[in-house]
Amino acid sequence: MPQGDPGHDATNELGSSHGMDNHNANAQIAAQRLAEEAKEASSYGARGISDVTKAFTSAAQKLQPGQLVKDDYFTLFEAVGALEIMDPKMDSGYVPPGDTFEATFDVCKGLPAAEILWIMDELFRLEIAWFGGYPLSQTVFTSLHLDRLLSPDNKPPYTLNYGENPTGDIATEENLVHIVLRSYCIALAKCLQYVLGFVQSQNFYEEEDFVTHLFGRELLPKLGFNDADALLNDASTWLQSAALPSEYREALQSRLQFRKSLLTALNGSAEQWISCISAIEAVNKSHGHGIFQPEAFSDKVQRQLATSTPPRPVLKLSWDDACKQWTEMCQDIIEANRLTSAPIVQSASCLQRATWAFAYREPAPNTFTRAHMQSLLFGQDIISNTVSHFELFLTDIKEIVLTGHPLVDAESFQIELPSDPRHQCSRIIESFMDKAFDEYLNLYRMVCQNRCRIRRTFTQAIPILDELETLALGVDTELDNITPLQVLEIYGQPIRLNPLSNWTKFHKLQIVTWTVQLGFETDIYLPHELYTMYWLLLWYTSRQRQLLLCIEPFVLDRMKTLTKRRQTQQVVECLAAQDWLKSQGVSTETTHLISKALWRLYSMLMATHLIKTPKRQYAQESLLWDARMKSFFGLTNDPVPSLEDFVNAQHLESVQQSCRDIDEALKDARTNLSELRKMTPQQVRCVGTEEQWKREIKQMETTCVAIAVQTSQVLRVCAKNGDKGASGDEDLSALMEVSIPAPGSRYHDWWVVPLVKEKK
Amino acid sequence: MATESVSALPTPVEESQKASEYLACFLNKSLHIHTNDGRMFVGQLKCTDNERNVILSMTYEYRQPSESDIKFAAAKHEKSGNTGNVKVDMKKRFVGLVVVPGQYITKIELDG
Repeated sequence: MPQGDPGHDATNELGSSHGMDNHNANAQIAAQRLAEEAKEASSYGARGISDVTKAFTSAAQKLQPGQLVKDDYFTLFEAVGALEIMDPKMDSGYVPPGDTFEATFDVCKGLPAAEILWIMDELFRLEIAWFGGYPLSQTVFTSLHLDRLLSPDNKPPYTLNYGENPTGDIATEENLVHIVLRSYCIALAKCLQYVLGFVQSQNFYEEEDFVTHLFGRELLPKLGFNDADALLNDASTWLQSAALPSEYREALQSRLQFRKSLLTALNGSAEQWISCISAIEAVNKSHGHGIFQPEAFSDKVQRQLATSTPPRPVLKLSWDDACKQWTEMCQDIIEANRLTSAPIVQSASCLQRATWAFAYREPAPNTFTRAHMQSLLFGQDIISNTVSHFELFLTDIKEIVLTGHPLVDAESFQIELPSDPRHQCSRIIESFMDKAFDEYLNLYRMVCQNRCRIRRTFTQAIPILDELETLALGVDTELDNITPLQVLEIYGQPIRLNPLSNWTKFHKLQIVTWTVQLGFETDIYLPHELYTMYWLLLWYTSRQRQLLLCIEPFVLDRMKTLTKRRQTQQVVECLAAQDWLKSQGVSTETTHLISKALWRLYSMLMATHLIKTPKRQYAQESLLWDARMKSFFGLTNDPVPSLEDFVNAQHLESVQQSCRDIDEALKDARTNLSELRKMTPQQVRCVGTEEQWKREIKQMETTCVAIAVQTSQVLRVCAKNGDKGASGDEDLSALMEVSIPAPGSRYHDWWVVPLVKEKK
Repeated sequence: MATESVSALPTPVEESQKASEYLACFLNKSLHIHTNDGRMFVGQLKCTDNERNVILSMTYEYRQPSESDIKFAAAKHEKSGNTGNVKVDMKKRFVGLVVVPGQYITKIELDG
């Protein structure tokens, strides 16, 4: 860096001037210094390059072995990430002896239709792999045709011959390359650009989900949708009269059609996604006509791509998998559109369920479709042209805590008379909503991330929601000061309606329980921790139960008043809210009961040594507890239970008694599940996701059965061996063994049912 | 006598100290490192050792134009009616943080 002139007496100059003069002097000096620096910088290149090989080498040789000369800010940790030049596995620019630097394939050369077909299918295959998270350098960028079009030396109109078109009499084979394949490649580049734009406009995790890196290339920025579309049309027209066997003509047409549908769909025509699916089928049918032309692809392209990663081989993906993934992706998009359609977004609870339903599609939606879902939800202030974010938020508060209450009446928000209490309350609520707005939308956005990230972002949301709850408590008091809120006697105690803090607590507790459950799904708990985590789930579901008990009576009370006033519309809404709150109560109770069953089951398996705690010499129970509960330490309003609470909750029972208790809990859980099964989609607010809801119930029922099978297995083995298990803590590991099923092989990924086997 | 002659010559430790000070002047300066496969790496020196292994950050790789590049440039040159020599730029790309093992280094240049 250029240094300031030491002879320049800056301090004196500063010392002699005062006030405004001082400022001017300062500015002058700064300007002077900048000018000098600029002069120095501009002469930088002119100073030239000096050969220092000899001096450098002899100095280096004098260093002690292991002695490093390094920049103080450069860490050896960083050094590990450096690519080693000339190492074939690390250096993407390494050319092995006898190899050519560039692929020798001539992209301008005419090719038979069958080879064009194969090249297009190869691009199709590689493109979906890119959607799946592989970098372009390993996928479509390995196409030499595409590489030529995207080459920095190429220019509009981007032809395979660097901006020049072949002239004179051209054979069909050449036209196939220069017209058909080129248009396909150009449209493909445009598709890549749309997808990148989509993904980058939403929340995603670079490298983990998707690689947006373009390796120094640009995706034909001078061409737009219309240009690409026109090229596809031209190619299609040329094909119609081309001297080709009809099966090839049709096969090529179907590929152009697919590309056109995809491009149009990405350009914003939602209905085109359906055409994409049929186009994929057509492409698949004629795939067999292609003839292998592997020379049109080469990983040597990576030698010219700007990258700080080692070279990677061209990706292999089977054709059938590619077709399947393409079709699934189109279906995911169609489903995302449906899940955010007008009937669903009317209810915030329905939309919340819909977001989860989307995330839990199988196989899991890829990054692009998740970005698409996010853009449907957050791309504009209004979802599906029907419900604004503000309305959605207000509906959510209304649905959960304030159905039929004038506080959330849309009209109250329109009143402008400052002395009117409705005006005052509306402003207070609005200001709270402003503060909670981002976190509220996050309830949806977090679910649109990959599965591991859902859990992690949840753990980050927990303390934020807890703080909001504290804030909401104050807001509730403010509201109470303007228009006193109802007070009801609940279980012998006068309880005030606390709408906003209850609303916040509702979401917070839900996020807490989901976090615990996603931990089971993402398999982060060790077998001996499972009883702790099911107990924690039990703890927080009982909080949820308590909360619902503080919400429900107010709706009932409000309904009575409204009935007296004959406000039929509101009465109907209150009835619906009651139904929903009831379904929430029943489903919370079910979660509570199943976690109770599993907590007791795992406790029993631990006590009888069927699951063992690993020996850790230096581990302290309290530290392990803190580590496991870390995600929940941010909770101040519903603090995480202490290790003592947990220890006190454990009680040793005989194996037989434990099994009886477990079966009892399961029996109740199943009664609840059959009650839920009878409720209508409107009652449970699963409009549009009825199927997923039914499947969920079914999976939970199966889980209950599976747990019961384990208890009867334990009882059977104990009985067979002379009524073992009476003391509850005898070692039964000689009789039985336990395995924990991995995610994916469970009846429900949130419920880990151990598998007890008799030892032979 | 013996002790005097030793103190007259710098010890290896002193020498390495001096060498280290000299090399430290190159830190964060832009170096051109030529390798025996004809490439050149231009980046800021971050670290080096007694085997002359060099770590460069923010590095660009330069490579002589390929035969096809020259042919293409010549054709374009001819077509546009020019005569005389054809100028073809070196191929340049960003490669980031690299370590160039000393054994492959043929030339080291200091930029500026």
